[in-house]
Amino acid sequence: MALQGTEQVIQRDPALFLWILLPITIVMILTGVLRHYATILLQTPPKPPSTPPEARERQFLTRGAVLRGNLPSSGLSPASFQVRKDYLIDNYKKGNFLKMGPESRGQAAPNPMSDPAAMEGMMGMMKGNMAMMIPQTLIMSWINAFFAGFVILKLPFPLTIRFKQMLQAGVMTRDLDVRWVSSLSWYFLCLFGLQSVFIFILGNDNAASQVTQQMAMANPMGAQGMGGPMQPGQDPDKMFLAEAENLEVLEYWNVLEGVEERLLSSE
Amino acid sequence: MSTQIQYYNHDDPATAMNLSQKASSLLSKSSLKRKSQVVSIVSAIEEPSEWAELEQVFLACLRTGDDESAHLCLERITTRFGAANHRIMGLRGLYQEAEAKTEEDLRRILQGYNQIVKEDPMNIPIHKRRTALIRSIGMPGDALECLVQFLASFPSDTEAWCELSDLYQQQGLNQQAIFCMEEALLLAPNAWNLHARLGELNYLASQSAQEGIATNEKYLTEAVHRFARSVELCQDYLRGYYGLKLATDKLSSLPQSKSTNGLASETLRRLNTTAVAKLKHIVKQSSSTASGPRKAELIAAQALLDQSGS
Repeated sequence: MALQGTEQVIQRDPALFLWILLPITIVMILTGVLRHYATILLQTPPKPPSTPPEARERQFLTRGAVLRGNLPSSGLSPASFQVRKDYLIDNYKKGNFLKMGPESRGQAAPNPMSDPAAMEGMMGMMKGNMAMMIPQTLIMSWINAFFAGFVILKLPFPLTIRFKQMLQAGVMTRDLDVRWVSSLSWYFLCLFGLQSVFIFILGNDNAASQVTQQMAMANPMGAQGMGGPMQPGQDPDKMFLAEAENLEVLEYWNVLEGVEERLLSSE
Repeated sequence: MSTQIQYYNHDDPATAMNLSQKASSLLSKSSLKRKSQVVSIVSAIEEPSEWAELEQVFLACLRTGDDESAHLCLERITTRFGAANHRIMGLRGLYQEAEAKTEEDLRRILQGYNQIVKEDPMNIPIHKRRTALIRSIGMPGDALECLVQFLASFPSDTEAWCELSDLYQQQGLNQQAIFCMEEALLLAPNAWNLHARLGELNYLASQSAQEGIATNEKYLTEAVHRFARSVELCQDYLRGYYGLKLATDKLSSLPQSKSTNGLASETLRRLNTTAVAKLKHIVKQSSSTASGPRKAELIAAQALLDQSGS
């Protein structure tokens, strides 16, 4: 056990800084930049609908959402709102907007493996995953092979014993002060801590950091929501029925109520 | 009123003139020239806004009759984006229509559009050009049908809804026009010009309705609401105040009805005075600097003020 109150002194070769700390940092930044551009290259833009019925299916789904979202500010009168609501709910329920017509309801959703469009979406996701996994594996093994077991850095502040696991991966010394950081840990710190550097280099919406990538994985709607409401493998009929339900419980209100009073009082 | 679907805002002629005079300087710009693959890697990243500007210049050249520059602009855009791009096809169609000398030419272009739409029903710009062309050669009924079909597949196209509303209004079908304008407003709920337009449509409906005073009052109340909303969204909107004054005048001249949802006469009076004051203010402020359509609007506003003797 290290004595309390005494500082451990380790003589470090200054070459450690030049040949380990710096290379790891630079390599991590460069891989981040590379990953960003690789992701951009591999990205396929969301495919636009290819036939009018498909466009109709997508756009009528958004139409319901638009009616719900913009109802107050567009100032529809109760009567014209009721007409639209009835029309949409009725057609949603009958499945008139479906790509294949109302007869195609109730059929099992096509196997996503056989649908080329869905297949493409999955390939896109795979590519994204690959761009994340491969460099990570390579660099991890590279660091392990060349730089394992070095103590390269001393933090200027004391830490509790719990941080030992985080900061001294690959160095199995029980007595070493927590402030010493091993090369492998430096790699991990770079892996998770370079986000702000990437924002500085590549701008706000970069694909370099892996933390953001994982967040995008956890929330696919956020990442792909731009491409339209249709997700591969989802049954549009179910989405229509859900939208009909949403419309049914919608409460009417209107921004035109009292607009004259607002106008007069603002003068 | 222009019969073509506009790709950009109503510009007054002076702005279009200025824009089209930029054509030669813009065309000589190196960043918009065609580059070989190698050069494009090392040269600076191209700006999307420059291409958008070139498109605007192209349209302005067509408006001002400078077909030569327009052709050059179109060529430049086409070499960059390819002739199969939907938007480019739309622009090319526009250019051909401008070039057309006779009715016969126009019909041939229309045939071409029909062919394209049949082969690729997803080509939205060509759909729109086709509708506009059908309308401009004097077949509003066909244009209506065309638009209705288009909107059955693409119901979230604000531009098409506005155009349809305009067509219906021209045919005297105010109810339908109002419905279409409401659809457009659902898609763009904060567009004050659409609110004002809907107010105008309601006002027109009230003037032509034969169903009696109650209906008239309903339309007029709605019109007042809409105009009030539009000037709430845009504080110095001349058209909104103009409509507000007209509609409040008409509504207060109607015999008092017992309906409870109408506006109180006190509110109407105050709205009217506000509108008049605002109109006077706008006319006084900008009549010296305005030109083109803006000038015409100001003159109309002045005439309205004179007419009501205030």
